[in-house]
Amino acid sequence: MRFWGLRVGMLIALLLAVSMFTFGAMNLLGDPLFNILGPVAGDTENPENLAKIEAAKEQFYLDRPLPERYVRWLGDFVTGDFGVRFSASGQPPVSEVIKERLPRTLALSGMAMTFTLAIGIPWGVWSGSTSKKGLDRLSTGVAFFLVSIPNFALGVVLLYAVGFRLGWMPVRFDAGDPFWQRMHQLVLPALTLALGGAAVYQRLLRTDMITTLQEDFILMARAKGLSRRHILFRHALRPSLFSVVTLFGINAGAVFGGALIVELIFGIPGIGSLFVESIFREDFPVVLALVMILTAGFVVMNFVVDVLYSIIDPRVRQ
Amino acid sequence: MKLTAEPPMDESSGAVKARRLGPGFWLPMGWIFLIVGVALLAPVLPLKDPTDYFIRPGERPPYPPSADHWFGTDQDARDMFSRIISGARVSLAVGFMTVTMSFIVGGTLGMVAGLVRGWFDRLASFLFLVVLSFPGIVLVILIIALIDRSVLTISVVLAIGGIAPVGRLARAATLSFAEREFVIAARTLGARNSRILFRELLPNVVIPMGALVLLGVAAAILAEGGLAFLGLSIEKGETWGKLIRNGSGSRVLRDSPWVAFGPITVMFLTLASINYIGDYLRDFFNVRETGLGQ
Repeated sequence: MRFWGLRVGMLIALLLAVSMFTFGAMNLLGDPLFNILGPVAGDTENPENLAKIEAAKEQFYLDRPLPERYVRWLGDFVTGDFGVRFSASGQPPVSEVIKERLPRTLALSGMAMTFTLAIGIPWGVWSGSTSKKGLDRLSTGVAFFLVSIPNFALGVVLLYAVGFRLGWMPVRFDAGDPFWQRMHQLVLPALTLALGGAAVYQRLLRTDMITTLQEDFILMARAKGLSRRHILFRHALRPSLFSVVTLFGINAGAVFGGALIVELIFGIPGIGSLFVESIFREDFPVVLALVMILTAGFVVMNFVVDVLYSIIDPRVRQ
Repeated sequence: MKLTAEPPMDESSGAVKARRLGPGFWLPMGWIFLIVGVALLAPVLPLKDPTDYFIRPGERPPYPPSADHWFGTDQDARDMFSRIISGARVSLAVGFMTVTMSFIVGGTLGMVAGLVRGWFDRLASFLFLVVLSFPGIVLVILIIALIDRSVLTISVVLAIGGIAPVGRLARAATLSFAEREFVIAARTLGARNSRILFRELLPNVVIPMGALVLLGVAAAILAEGGLAFLGLSIEKGETWGKLIRNGSGSRVLRDSPWVAFGPITVMFLTLASINYIGDYLRDFFNVRETGLGQ
């Protein structure tokens, strides 16, 4: 119990540190007032503009000291209110913008992770148990290709080959609602994200499989007359689950990070494009909220993987 | 490539492994030498100016590959071949600078932590843990957005992300050597920590780390490419990532795929060679514990 307490404490401390760093950096290095009012912000001579500046300062709490603003922001943030955008109207609120964009990125990442498992595990099990040398060599070559090609390059290749040449998949994301009716548009980008990870699973599982299949309990299972599929997926795959979980944890972070980039190739208006847009517009409340959400997601994911570890292998807790 | 599996023992590695680097090593190595050599020599090679516009009257660029333009031209009729080479200069520079910095800082931290142990070790390990539990891409985007987008800044920021895995490996390698007889012997002879660190441990730790240098270069080149797609890569000049992005717009990609596929091919061959050599060296030196290039 103490172990988990410590872990959760560290998790929260890390998030707090990140939020302080980001909040401080954005406010010290940028000029929020300028983002809200534009060129007017520099004009303190004109009384009319000065009044605007004062009003904006009050509205966005910019006249308060930084620590106070931080605490205020933090209080709002944990209750789900991400504040207002740094623009003249402050509309729409940051939470609304994120609510619109986040589901697309999550759907893409989720689909990509499903594909990764659905492709990688059977592929690894097959290549670890096949006796066809030629095919195995081919699959190892393909895996090496997929591991080495950057996901954005793979995205461009797939977009060209499957999207334009074959014409099997839509090439642009049509952002209509409800978006889940348009999930098929996410197949190609999800595949882009999934193939590299699937190749890594394949490499790992193949090695594990070859070792496991030489164990006595496999011989035993075979002697009992169990079917090939039963031996492979029930008996041989099980001992490899530990590495699969490890891999899943690492891969989940990579998929989510990759999603930000792949979204831009396929023109999906998700978190990635929002992040970039807000950075270039110096819309700091949006950037801040995104940094926190991404970090929290990543950290929590790591935590879940650790919990899963200790369920599979209780020795980890010591 | 943290989870790259070692080849299973029942296959090629066999019972007696020849301690020689075969053609599987020298072929990709040749490509690396070629690309690095061309990148270094680009100013003196008879190449077209990568920023020149080779517009042919009556034809709309991009022009397909021809004897004149081996890789074709881009939308502005600039020669792709020389642009890819000019991109190689920046991309490789980012790769090497990033690795140099992360290895100097991470390696020193990790080795000192492994040697002196105690509070310094706990602090360094905690630091590595914190860096690793933070999504790298977010940190990189944030810092770059706030400061500037020069080659140096981007390399430094990418290097920060590399400190933790490098440091962990250096620490683990140092730990495994720190209790060995030759270190104890040196200590008994009255050697100071600094001498043990540089003369006894460093030569041993450098070998497993060496295999990771290449993978670090690959990771940095890859990261730069990702940043380019976010529009956050180096502002001035060309990089492979920027070239690919430039060719990946719907219309260009559909009608003139060579604009994207030239840099993709070169980048892929380079990354694949680096990965292959890295895997090869790692098997060769039997380095197990790594965390680089995720």
